[in-house]
Amino acid sequence: MTALTYYPGCSLKTSSKFYETSIKQIFSSYGIEIQELPDWSCCGASAAHTVDDRLAHALVARNLALAEIKDHHLFAPCSACYIRSKVTNERMRQDKEFRKDINNVISPLKCLGTGEVKNIIEVLHDHVGIELIARRLKYNLSALKVVPYYGCVLTRVMGMDAFDDKEDPTSMDSLLWALGVELISWPYKMECCGASKTLTNKDVTYTLSNKIMDRAIVLGADAIVTPCPLCQLNLDLLSYLGRTEKAIPILFLSEVFELALFGKLAGSNSHVITIDEVVKKVKEIDK
Amino acid sequence: MNNLIFLKELEELSGENISSCYQCYRCTVGCPVVNQMDIYPHRIIRYIVLGEREKVLRAKSIWTCLQCITCSVRCPNDIDIAHVFDTVRKIAIKEQKAAEQDTWTFDKAFLDSVERHGRLHEIEAILRYKIEKKNFFEDAKMGMGMFLKGRMGILPHNVKDRKQLKEIFKKCGQ
Repeated sequence: MTALTYYPGCSLKTSSKFYETSIKQIFSSYGIEIQELPDWSCCGASAAHTVDDRLAHALVARNLALAEIKDHHLFAPCSACYIRSKVTNERMRQDKEFRKDINNVISPLKCLGTGEVKNIIEVLHDHVGIELIARRLKYNLSALKVVPYYGCVLTRVMGMDAFDDKEDPTSMDSLLWALGVELISWPYKMECCGASKTLTNKDVTYTLSNKIMDRAIVLGADAIVTPCPLCQLNLDLLSYLGRTEKAIPILFLSEVFELALFGKLAGSNSHVITIDEVVKKVKEIDK
Repeated sequence: MNNLIFLKELEELSGENISSCYQCYRCTVGCPVVNQMDIYPHRIIRYIVLGEREKVLRAKSIWTCLQCITCSVRCPNDIDIAHVFDTVRKIAIKEQKAAEQDTWTFDKAFLDSVERHGRLHEIEAILRYKIEKKNFFEDAKMGMGMFLKGRMGILPHNVKDRKQLKEIFKKCGQ
């Protein structure tokens, strides 16, 4: 198995630091080694491509070039980091003129687009696999009802195949199924949470995130599970955006693994919406 | 005859085959924020084909777009509509015709922070945006809430090779 270079991105060092803690915990439990990309920089997120396309690609290519030195796969848990890296990597590999231009911008670094970019769902499938996940369970999560929420960008990529279906992904469903939670099927797997409009047009984020929260509650879910830090943040902040009704917690995918492996969450204090009710439903497996 | 200059300009800048649109409305039907738009996505595309330059550049819709790419992925003609919108944004800003400044102001504040530190310094980008907007206290409660949960750092995270990073911004004309 190719070694993994971990590209945290800005979120996993600040607003979602507990996502990093959670990932590190479960990875070490499964024996997956990750090395943080040395001197990584921001991927530009949704801001860079709006202002300047070349800059957006160059910012990503800088990180890809640093990862290529190690010849590892680039593991990007944040959906925005993942999709930006994936898109630029593909173009660097295929488009000679483009590659020359971007490499000129990031010189003396050089990116060939020969590496692979992986998200957390892919890594858990490829490096652990559902069989091992199911065999290693320490806690019983069968009382926990969750809705899988992939977020809008994870599998939406133009001009190339995505790792999963672009309209109805199932890769996270199978991971959650292996963890033994009760999965609720719903049509909001890929609904947009409002993304970066939280500051520029709060009402948009409120309306979209609130709709997702309402639907999850109507369906009887105890928690919403997502791999995306921005989705987690926007939904978790709903009470600050204007929601007065009750809300259920938004867990990172890795946190459901934490519950199954350790029965508790290291980042419980970082959740705005309290996770107590969720942890109460976790039972020890009868031996 | 329609004025095809605008269509050509956008097709060249975006690299998208906009004229292949046959108005199936799929982009509009799937858009999560269409109810906030003044001109629906399929119409924006149509106006581009018809050469309605002013209408498109001044549309609020191009700034309402969340860049969630739902429309692009669903387009039967493989037009990356979100990218077309993104391209229109750049022209609208250049010609000072943008219907809304907030998205651009925030994106600039975000990138300024990345240029300075190499990584986003959230609180700095947010404060710069707030100062620009002069509504300093609007989201103070939310910021405080995040801070108390340890989700808003005070100090920036700097990359080591900041010189090279500044060079990247410079070469891209920023």
